[in-house]
Amino acid sequence: MTSILIAVAVLSLLALVFGVILGFASKKFKVEGNPVIDQVEALLPQTQCGQCGYPGCRPYAEAIANGDHINKCPPGGTATMEKIAELMGVDQEPLNAEAQSSVKKVAYIREDECIGCTKCIQACPVDAILGAGKLMHTVIAKDCTGCDLCVEPCPVDCIDMIPLETTLQNWDWKLNTIPVKVIHSEQEEQAC
Amino acid sequence: MLTILEQLDKGSLWQSPGGIHPPQLKTLSNQSAISRLPLAKRFVVPVPLVGEQATLTVTVGDKVLKGQILTEGAGFTYLPVHAPTSGQIIAIKQHATNHPSSLPTLSCIIEADGQDTWCDLTPNSLNQLSKPQILDKIKQAGIAGMGGAAFPSHVKLNPASEIDLVIINGIECEPYITSDDRLMRDHSHEIMSGVGVINHLLNPQRIIIAIEDNKPEAAQAMQDALNRSDLPKGVVRVTVIPTKYPSGGEKQLIQIITGKEVPSGAIPAQLGIVVHNVGTAYAIQEAIYQGKPLIERVVTLTGEHIGQPGNYWLPIGTTVADALQSVKFIESAEQKVIVGGPMMGYALAELDVPILKGTNCLLVPSQNEIAPDVDEKACIRCGECAVACPALLLPQQLFWHAKAEEYDKAASFNLKDCIECGCCSYVCPSDIPLVEYYRVAKSALKIEAEEKRQAEQAKIRFETRLQRLEDEKNAREAKAKEAAAKRQANMKSSDKDAVAAAMARIAAKKAQVTTAPSTASSTETATQTSQAVVDPKKAAVNAAIERAKAKKAAQASAARNDTLDSTSESVIVDDKQAKIAAAVARAKAKKAAQINQTDMVPTEVEPSTDIIDDKKARVAAAVANAKAKKITKENQTDETALAPQPTAEIESTTDIEASTDPIDDKKARVAAAVAKAKAKKLAQANQTDVTILAPHPTTDIESTTDLEATTDLIDDKKARVAVAVAKAKAKKLAQANQADEADTTIESIANDSITAQHTETPPTLKHEIASGSDTRLIINDDSAAYLTPEQIKKAKVAAAVAKAKAKKLAKSAEQEEH
Amino acid sequence: MAFKIASSPHVSTSLHTNTVMKRVALCLIPGIAVQSYYFGLGTLIQLFLAVSVAYLAEAAVMKLRHKNIKATLSDNSALVTASLLAVAIPPLAPWWLIVIGTLFAIVIVKQLYGGLGNNVFNPAMAAYVLLLISFPVQMTSWVAPQTIALNHADLVSSLQSIFELNAQYSAEYFRTGVDGITMATPLDTLKTDLSMGLTTTESLAKPIFSGMTTQSWFWVNMAYLAGGLIMLKLKVIRWHISGAIIASVFVCASFGFLISPDTFVSPLMHLFSGGTMLAAFFIATDPVTAATSPRGRLIFGAMIGVLIYLIRTFGGYPDAVAFAVLLANMCAPFIDYYVRPRSYGHRTGN
Repeated sequence: MTSILIAVAVLSLLALVFGVILGFASKKFKVEGNPVIDQVEALLPQTQCGQCGYPGCRPYAEAIANGDHINKCPPGGTATMEKIAELMGVDQEPLNAEAQSSVKKVAYIREDECIGCTKCIQACPVDAILGAGKLMHTVIAKDCTGCDLCVEPCPVDCIDMIPLETTLQNWDWKLNTIPVKVIHSEQEEQAC
Repeated sequence: MLTILEQLDKGSLWQSPGGIHPPQLKTLSNQSAISRLPLAKRFVVPVPLVGEQATLTVTVGDKVLKGQILTEGAGFTYLPVHAPTSGQIIAIKQHATNHPSSLPTLSCIIEADGQDTWCDLTPNSLNQLSKPQILDKIKQAGIAGMGGAAFPSHVKLNPASEIDLVIINGIECEPYITSDDRLMRDHSHEIMSGVGVINHLLNPQRIIIAIEDNKPEAAQAMQDALNRSDLPKGVVRVTVIPTKYPSGGEKQLIQIITGKEVPSGAIPAQLGIVVHNVGTAYAIQEAIYQGKPLIERVVTLTGEHIGQPGNYWLPIGTTVADALQSVKFIESAEQKVIVGGPMMGYALAELDVPILKGTNCLLVPSQNEIAPDVDEKACIRCGECAVACPALLLPQQLFWHAKAEEYDKAASFNLKDCIECGCCSYVCPSDIPLVEYYRVAKSALKIEAEEKRQAEQAKIRFETRLQRLEDEKNAREAKAKEAAAKRQANMKSSDKDAVAAAMARIAAKKAQVTTAPSTASSTETATQTSQAVVDPKKAAVNAAIERAKAKKAAQASAARNDTLDSTSESVIVDDKQAKIAAAVARAKAKKAAQINQTDMVPTEVEPSTDIIDDKKARVAAAVANAKAKKITKENQTDETALAPQPTAEIESTTDIEASTDPIDDKKARVAAAVAKAKAKKLAQANQTDVTILAPHPTTDIESTTDLEATTDLIDDKKARVAVAVAKAKAKKLAQANQADEADTTIESIANDSITAQHTETPPTLKHEIASGSDTRLIINDDSAAYLTPEQIKKAKVAAAVAKAKAKKLAKSAEQEEH
Repeated sequence: MAFKIASSPHVSTSLHTNTVMKRVALCLIPGIAVQSYYFGLGTLIQLFLAVSVAYLAEAAVMKLRHKNIKATLSDNSALVTASLLAVAIPPLAPWWLIVIGTLFAIVIVKQLYGGLGNNVFNPAMAAYVLLLISFPVQMTSWVAPQTIALNHADLVSSLQSIFELNAQYSAEYFRTGVDGITMATPLDTLKTDLSMGLTTTESLAKPIFSGMTTQSWFWVNMAYLAGGLIMLKLKVIRWHISGAIIASVFVCASFGFLISPDTFVSPLMHLFSGGTMLAAFFIATDPVTAATSPRGRLIFGAMIGVLIYLIRTFGGYPDAVAFAVLLANMCAPFIDYYVRPRSYGHRTGN
């Protein structure tokens, strides 16, 4: 009988001790907010395009943290989806929209055709279009995220999405993509 | 334990890790002195900084002289570009550049005139110039590191921290290359005076001229030059180090000379060390003592497929094709043309590219010298690469991750510390092009970092935008409130009684207009109103509503036109501009005025008070008319549709309709005839609506019924029948409504008007919108019309009259009720 | 006009994988020669069998994987794997033993893991262990040294024995010494004796240790040592793994011997009998399955040495080279992970 009592007492004591430890830990190591949101947001491409159905990348990150599908980000493409799948520990899903080509694009306004309606300015999520009413608009290329949102509102359809040009700064060293034709030997040239 | 300086003086050397000993093959090109090649016809001078840091100072067709500056710009790392020879600029266009990618960059194409005429040069001596002047001269001479990296030299000569040790790099550890070797042999004096300039600028404790032991002649020449020079004794020293690739790397050389490692991510200057190439020292000397900019350099043209291998002075901008042509270049199948040495150089895809400041060698090897590429085989993890790596990396691990495109993992193995020396690829038994993998991985990491930065930037911009929109919204609301407060304040400052009286008067008129029973109710309303006016806000709204009602009433009874006219005219007399505007407006809307002048005035006053210029006012009025018509038309068609959702806007719109629209006389007469019915209907509708919507009777509904009343022809019968019922209820309505209506209406009106101003950002549009298009503003301005002091005076007078009348009416109403 | 482009560097050493493998195979020759001298021509027959099967198996797998057969075969790695397995198994073991072993080594251990460079375990040793635990009798039927054997195994009788054509020439037949005692390897005998309660001194007094048997094993090991030294000289291998194995076996054995000479045999006995030298220079040095950094390799080698000693002394099997190597193979990735050298410019501390 006493042994049972002792066992109960010991277990109760242990429960108490661990309870106190847990309580302390929950206070001491409390994490403010949901760190997963920040992590997901860091993976999203920040184009703020809203193609996921949320007004920006942060709201979508929040939605993912709350269990939304991870396949709603066309600008991020499959790579982003895979990273999020890894982070969230969920299965990978095929993108629900056709993934944009991996080539980064920027908007370009054909300035001759622009009528200065300011509609694209209002559509741009990152304020990367400059212009005033009835005056020509232009895109600040370095701030353009290539989100496509300005193309639709343009009444005269003067906005193109053009792929970013390869420059010496962003060249990727993939030598085998440089077009090279091997020159013929002298003998062959003579034969020709 | 010796101090570092003592060890330097002793010539102690340290071991650098890794490294290889490839066959040197330097004798191919170092046998003869540096010579010159015939001047090329065409030069390609890249101006890559144009558009970023610099602007071109020349245009197509300009004649340039040798050494003339082609660009000007600012910025710490900006370097000017010079014309390599005299001639004419025949094009400024994108041209393939001397880069592994062969991507085009903006270049000036200069056609040489063959004269090779120098521009004006200003030789100086060290004593004539201050240090900043010397640095500026070096910068203006466009001197960049001649070792290959082409980093602007003036930056390295003007460090933020104290420099204790300068190393003059004459190592040239790459096989084949002998340009520095020959330069040291042929121009040791000039190099030494360049060292003197560096010494003058940096004033270090020691200057070490480091030369590999495979160049004994060069070391000897430098030593001789040092002995003959007037440099302070004991400061400069020539140190010969053992031959090993890549001892010439900056970090490796520092380790060999001092035993120190440059921390990852740091620059040598943080250790108090600066490394300059011997070629740079030569160029500095030329710039200071001759005044010559850096427009030519020694280039080793070597390899078995070059007929006359050797070292040549080549102007910067000479195309590789021209240079090779003049040294009897033998072309073969699968020919490689390598810029730089065999270890770190890159093969060119195109030969029409210029020689640059960092181009030290053109290697054109035969198949025997450099075996054709073989397919890469599986890595057997032999670890030879790790042994050879001078940066102590684990190339096989880097390769593993780079191949799997796990670039972040590769980065965790310190990929960024890779100097791309090629030792790992050199020793690899599986022929894996390791360096290529690393370059791809590095650029991918760079792009990734850039994208991350851009994403961060986009996020910030996005959030800023949201903030801005939020702020604008808040500002709008604040403004609306402010405007309301202003009105309120004005109401307060003016005689409340006057306003109240004015309204009472209007109500009274209305009461007079309507039939006897309804007069009673109207009087009730009027008295009710004057009580409610205690709250000025409400009063303002009430005023607007009452006015609207009064208009309707006035419309109905032409007999009362005179009195109303006087009041409404008294409203405008105060303002000169308002007068003018009103005059203009009158002229414009003659027809309308004929029919109902009273209505005309308040509406047309609006543009005049808003806009100060006459012209503008006219224009605005015209616009207003046009737009009002449009709106009216729309309203007319939409009336039935809009009926269920009547707003304050519609109320005012219909006002305009009545006033500005040139309504046919017929119509007007009909309208006048029906006016009685309207008034009745008004009362009736109010009551019925109130019964339906008893808890929330609003002006909206009231106004809707007004609208309906004006436009729809309702049976007189109905109206009369209703009037009887209405009488009693109208009282109730009036009592209940006055207070509530006021609040909501004024706010909605104010908000709307401000929205109208702010939704359209372009300032040019503002006036038009504000003045003409939006009828909502009319109400605002109507109320604004009450604000002016003169008007208030007149209003007071009118109020006094009105009060008396109201009393009378009230009395009669009382009598009737009793 | 366009020119051939390639990434730098444009030059490289002539020491390629196939050369390295060829040199390893060539350096096995002294050992094979001495082994054949002492234990008969069986080794050569096994070698021939193993190499043929290995090349055939590799070619077949390459065909299935749609890879370049010629390129793969020419890297000579199959040759080395087959040779190592051939010298490790008893010279007169039945033919199917070496065939099974080689097939297992090439197809399963090497190619199924992705081919050369991707295999986790040393193929020869994995196959050896498979054979050892599946066919323990055949795998421990080591022949007596030819000089003291009762029945000489010449080429014909070896062939007949290996291909089980003549019942007379069983493994047992050739294992019998002149004195009519069935021979085992010295380590095997020692193990049995110790388990029967004999001291090492008593066991070593047995004829098997006194005469030619020990001596023959000594010379076989010496031959492998010689081959290994040549490889070191040719820079085919680096010294770290071999040195660490030899040093750790020596240290462990000396330690045991000093504590209790009766139950632990001498260091020399450990170093020069069984497969110690073969393992130290030819098996453990397989770069694919070893650690890569110098420090990692020292740890890797020391681990093998200690394991060899421990399994030999306390384990159930007389020789432990294969087990030790496989266990160390498993640890190699961990060793590599934790023994990363400091990169330039990443000085710890100051």
